[in-house]
Amino acid sequence: MRHSAPRRYAAAVLALAPALALTACAGDDGTAAADGPVTLTYGIWDKNQEPAMRQIADAFTETHPDVTVEIELTPFADYWTKLRTAVSGGTGPDVFWMNGPNIQAYASNGALEPLADLDTSGYPQGLVDLYTVDGTVYGAPKDFDTIGVWYNKDLFDAAGVEYPADDWTWDDYVETAERLTDPDKGVWGSAAALNDQQNYYDTIAQAGAEVISSDGTTTGYGTPEALTGLEFWTDQIAAGLSPTQEQMTDTSPETLFTSGKVAMYWSGSWSAVAYDSNEAVAESVDVAPLPAGPEGNQSVIHGVGNVVNAGGEHKDVAAQFAAFASSEEAATIQAEAGAVIPAYTGTQQAWVDAMPQYHLDVFIDALETAVPYPASRNTSAWTSVQDEVLTQVWSGNLEPAEGNAQLGEQVQAALDAEQE
Amino acid sequence: MSAAPGAVVPRRRSGAQQSPWWALLFVGPTALGLAVFYLWPTVRTLYLSFTEAGMFGGYTWVGLDNYAALLADPELLTALRNTFVYTVIVLVGIPVAVVVATLLNTPGLRGRGVYRVLYFLPVVTMPAAIALVWRMLYNGDYGVLNQALGAVGISGRSWLTDPATALVAVAVVAIWAGLGTSIVIFLAGLQGIPASVMEAAKLDGAGPVRTFRSVTVPLLSPSIFFVSVVGIIGALQVFDLVYMMVGRNNPALPDTKTVVYLFYEAGFLDNHRGSAAAIAFVLLVIILGLTVLQFRLQKRWVHYE
Amino acid sequence: MSEALREALTDTASARPAATAATRPATRTAPRTAPAATTPRRRQPWVVHALLAAGAVVMVFPFAWQLLTAFKTFQASVQVPPSILPDPWVFTNFGEVFASMPFGSMFLNSVLLTVLRTAGQVVLCTMAGYAFARLSFPGRNVIFVAFLSVLMVPTQLYLLPQYEIVQALGWLDSLPGLVMPGIFSAFGTFLMRQFFMSLPAELEEAARLDGANPWQAFSRVMVPLARPGIVALTVFTVLWSWNDLLWPLVVTTSPEKMPLSVGLAQMVGLHGTDFPVLMAGALLATLPMLVTFMVLQRQFIQGIAFTGSKG
Repeated sequence: MRHSAPRRYAAAVLALAPALALTACAGDDGTAAADGPVTLTYGIWDKNQEPAMRQIADAFTETHPDVTVEIELTPFADYWTKLRTAVSGGTGPDVFWMNGPNIQAYASNGALEPLADLDTSGYPQGLVDLYTVDGTVYGAPKDFDTIGVWYNKDLFDAAGVEYPADDWTWDDYVETAERLTDPDKGVWGSAAALNDQQNYYDTIAQAGAEVISSDGTTTGYGTPEALTGLEFWTDQIAAGLSPTQEQMTDTSPETLFTSGKVAMYWSGSWSAVAYDSNEAVAESVDVAPLPAGPEGNQSVIHGVGNVVNAGGEHKDVAAQFAAFASSEEAATIQAEAGAVIPAYTGTQQAWVDAMPQYHLDVFIDALETAVPYPASRNTSAWTSVQDEVLTQVWSGNLEPAEGNAQLGEQVQAALDAEQE
Repeated sequence: MSAAPGAVVPRRRSGAQQSPWWALLFVGPTALGLAVFYLWPTVRTLYLSFTEAGMFGGYTWVGLDNYAALLADPELLTALRNTFVYTVIVLVGIPVAVVVATLLNTPGLRGRGVYRVLYFLPVVTMPAAIALVWRMLYNGDYGVLNQALGAVGISGRSWLTDPATALVAVAVVAIWAGLGTSIVIFLAGLQGIPASVMEAAKLDGAGPVRTFRSVTVPLLSPSIFFVSVVGIIGALQVFDLVYMMVGRNNPALPDTKTVVYLFYEAGFLDNHRGSAAAIAFVLLVIILGLTVLQFRLQKRWVHYE
Repeated sequence: MSEALREALTDTASARPAATAATRPATRTAPRTAPAATTPRRRQPWVVHALLAAGAVVMVFPFAWQLLTAFKTFQASVQVPPSILPDPWVFTNFGEVFASMPFGSMFLNSVLLTVLRTAGQVVLCTMAGYAFARLSFPGRNVIFVAFLSVLMVPTQLYLLPQYEIVQALGWLDSLPGLVMPGIFSAFGTFLMRQFFMSLPAELEEAARLDGANPWQAFSRVMVPLARPGIVALTVFTVLWSWNDLLWPLVVTTSPEKMPLSVGLAQMVGLHGTDFPVLMAGALLATLPMLVTFMVLQRQFIQGIAFTGSKG
């Protein structure tokens, strides 16, 4: 299985990245600006990746002795609020992580420096496109992530349930969850977490709908398919196969999973390093592909990019660091640390090999059918509506059909407003 | 020197021993600071409430749109209701504090100092830390509160994420955290009541409960008035506890969102600074109104000697 | 150990059954101003003790549970039913706190924020309060009413423009930005004015007749007399600065510039519901103020009581 991964991966990248015109400009790896020592700040949100980012920063200092890089870690929950405040206030980090939902808003408001010198030939075209706004590249693809079903082997063994098969379906999933659920022991088979990328974006795609069309103008909310994708989760809560939304707000679903209360938890490739370093679960969890819904077992793919603050003081050096932090060398550091799947072509196998106890090729295989993370010009305008409505749906205060219909109207209205 | 303090000042002015430059030296720095950081911002916020903010700076004039949108938004009404409910619950802390202070004032009581310190501990503790601790105690699955209730056969719930209980749960923490301040103030007030008054009540045959009702509470009423004015203003502006204990994606958020949380959400999470400014003005009107009302009502129940 | 605490501890140690307590000699030598000291020793009111002790348990339990949880493993913290004592005792949670945030810088920021705001307020408010109470100058009443109006307005109203001003000064995400608006206080000025109003004028008049100018009269005569007011203002400002969340949350963006309160808020995002690490962080963030309180409890309590009587 695992040995076939690289070949399949290559095919997947080709599918994701149709013919690519190589741009000839080489990354300028020269020395730092001559104006003395420079300190760059590098804004990130993932605690688990901090050690790898530190190594990358140190590697950069080795070739650019005048430059030191300080890492600013802000939890994801506060990252975008803090970043917008900092960038508009002129105190933002020089280089920072960017994601799909936010790139267009930042780039079109002039907050980011174009990466004119970046050699994009080493990255899957889908990720380059994600960070290209109006024909200009603003982000250097750092990594990508797909989703799998993490499961607790001990709970499977205790309940006498066989581990998930690669070709399982939604029905198999629900049946497995039923067999694992044991109210007496306080164990739930599944966690119907209210996470977009990890949960309902995937099942909406699997049911055959698009959350947002690829041109960013129409929403799939309001369609029967989207409702099917949402009900996959709300039905689990209603049937007691998952903790309630109240319980999952009180104690995060991931905590419930790592403390052995939840048997199956949908999460991304980024979780591997966190589980690997958590003694309580390092040896007892593994990962399976997503189960197939009516239209397949698509996973959402998303990737982080390194971008340069247009308001920074040392933009040239910052651009060099952004390029370096996404380079083959940095990708290899990330892969070997097991931090994330690096975006740089050809470095992924090192990540799969970094934690051989898990079936990490699941995440690479998911590329074949992966669907892009939904984003538009002003993504947060409609995701705030989405979060608010779905919180009520998940907690049972709003019927899924009613919530889906509301989203169909309100999300579409937000998208229409962007076009004005 | 028999003149009242107020009369001293004009006389001194006529003596002309003192130049206004001295006053400038004393008041100038604070006056400047307050003008720059408080008075000007009030004017500026009024202006902002008629504008809409761009994502990375810049404002456009929108007239009364923010106010119109705000008044039409059911969220404001809900936030007002939540804030009032929260304030009313928090006021329950005042009678509790009066009772505790009266108990602490029992003549000859030993260990008063220890009790006072213990009740005061939360006052010197960061609200952010208090919120973390109580989140753990209230936790539906692992919280010690539910474990204790379970031991006596009551099944608990997820107190902070259940819309039915979250607001009350937060208010209880606010009472717990603020009790020490009120107790200390009431205790100081009680120690100002002459022992002879208490003795007289006792000689009249009044029991402890009766003395408490007809002597202690009326004599303590100026302190009670002060604590309730300050307490109401504080409760109307609650933010830390809601921000730290409830947070986003919580199903109970709509039922716990207070006016200041709404303000923070609009101004700093959603970047709608114009509506945030309008919310701040609505809050100002409410606080002014309530404070005036309290000063009007105080004549009916506060006894100044 | 403070006098009050020592006294309190002696009191507890001597709390014995009533029969023996009555025969014991009084442990206190000097009579104290509290009415308790003037009344003769009597039977302890056990009902009162029972009520107060029950309340005290409610007040202290959260702290005790926090302390114990900070030394538990994650697994032990989510164990059902819970174990009271950690088994085993672990210290790694504190390591996690230091690893996930620059605790030293945050601690320093909190200390500097508190010290600078308090020093600024004590100096400025005492001066301004004195002037309003004792000096006459043109526009005094108008200015004083303007000060009072600041007291009436909810602090949130100032937040957005204060942010803009600090931004225009280039102080976002820096110590001056954290400290600055907080060193000016209408409340403090009002408190000190009330205090100076209550002081007798004679001493100051005498100094003035001796040829002292207003500054000398203020600094040599009035400030020493104003100690109780200054202590109250200090206590109030120290607590408010150390615990402040909203303003620091808004002006700081990088972890090195944040005070502990914001650091704690961030820990929730980093550690979710990992209770032992959160409790270790909360403990570290609150311990300095708890220790300060234990040492200076009399000043703290008198300060708060004073604010209640003058405010």
